[in-house]
Amino acid sequence: MKSIISRRELLLRAPAAIGAMVVVHPLLNFGADYGSAIPGKQGMIVRSLRFLDLEMPVEYADSFIIPLERFFVRNHMHEPSALDIGQWRLTINGEVEKSLTFTLAELTKMEQHTVINTLECAGNGRALAVPHVPGVQWEKGAIGTARFNGPRLRDVLQRAGVRPTGKHVMFRGLDEVPGKVPPFIRSIPIEKATDEDTVVALRMNGLPLTKHHGSPARALVPGWIGAASCKWLTEIKVLEKEFEGNFMSPGYRMPNMPVKPGEAVRVEDTHPATALNVKSMITSPRAGAIVKSRIVAQGMAWAGEADIAKVEVSIDSGANWQSAQLGKEHSHYAWRLWSYSWNAVKPGSYIIISRATDSTGRMQPDSVQWNPSGYLINVVDSVQIHVQA
Amino acid sequence: MFRLNLSLALLLSLTCLPLLHGQSTALPSGPLQSKIKTACLECHDTGIIVQQRLAKAAWTKEVDKMIKWGALVEPSDRDAFIEYLSTSFPPDKERYTAPRTVTGNNKR
Repeated sequence: MKSIISRRELLLRAPAAIGAMVVVHPLLNFGADYGSAIPGKQGMIVRSLRFLDLEMPVEYADSFIIPLERFFVRNHMHEPSALDIGQWRLTINGEVEKSLTFTLAELTKMEQHTVINTLECAGNGRALAVPHVPGVQWEKGAIGTARFNGPRLRDVLQRAGVRPTGKHVMFRGLDEVPGKVPPFIRSIPIEKATDEDTVVALRMNGLPLTKHHGSPARALVPGWIGAASCKWLTEIKVLEKEFEGNFMSPGYRMPNMPVKPGEAVRVEDTHPATALNVKSMITSPRAGAIVKSRIVAQGMAWAGEADIAKVEVSIDSGANWQSAQLGKEHSHYAWRLWSYSWNAVKPGSYIIISRATDSTGRMQPDSVQWNPSGYLINVVDSVQIHVQA
Repeated sequence: MFRLNLSLALLLSLTCLPLLHGQSTALPSGPLQSKIKTACLECHDTGIIVQQRLAKAAWTKEVDKMIKWGALVEPSDRDAFIEYLSTSFPPDKERYTAPRTVTGNNKR
């Protein structure tokens, strides 16, 4: 199998890279900050403060469930500035037999369902796109796995009675829209809305949803891009067709066919982004680490609605691949932990590459699948380390 | 002969840079700095601007989208806005390194 990077290139670049790593390595354990205090979120990478977009550093991904203080935050708009939980209502309307409203207490009294879901922003990995594309320049950490709990959306809809004309379900939240920005409203097909694992989430990791994560209720559409899981729900409307708005078109769409980097794509040649891609990330060793010869590489792998079939690791720039061991924690829509250990025979620089394959046969590509919005980028992950003599 | 993969090289360059001392989120000085602030910061902060690395055509699309979405830009300033952003945040500018939220031990 061909190598992804030439050995000659690696040898030429190694001295400078090693020099940089020797300088950088002692500093890698300190977190820098600019005094941006976000209560409940420490050491997170600030992609934006207003609107709040916080990325999880890769080194924080060391557990199956990511604690709330390390969970990434993504907002298109301003979070609700004032929300009275007692006065809050969730309205169900549209193509239903009768419109209804629910209080939080009423939703809590319904049968609750738990979904362990790996939530990933559609733009995770956008920073890798060349040519660069506009948007939040997420690298690897716009992702997290949490336990979400609440009534099934289909049970909520059943109370209102969905008409046969109801084909899509629209979510509207209480985010505050600046200027003339279109509101963040999106819809999902009725089949996904009535799936047994799609919930109106009230709790995350056992606690009521916090403000950053959509208090008091959010949609939770498992295995799909984060944008499908609308936060601060206020209205769920059943529609005859897909919602027509900016964040359904031209927003959050993927080209129907692969495109060349930099190529323009017409909206009519696109489809909505829905389920996540197969993907993996290396969480340890950290990039630039100086390690001893016994190396344990660890990370996560996920595939949206599919299962992870295998994770392979290469330590010779893609010439050869070995199977990593998958962790025992396993849930339909959640990532799998993986690890791979080996003894490096010689000191020097190594590039560790991880590549996941899912149960439908999809495998991570070895190059970025460019698209104009930088969505669903799932190129193999890699880190460069240095093995001491 | 094996082929160098550009994506892999970029990925490696991203991960080997220190994610420590975030760069300033201040807009570069220039005659338009205060107009940009007035037009843009009504809705969002500078962070979302300074992390972009776009060619002029892409900046043009972004400026026009922002104007459509309510950014107050005099028509006579539109071209200058595009020029300012294109020259301040071009594709080949050094990658932006974002700061982190405060930690208890490392507060500045």
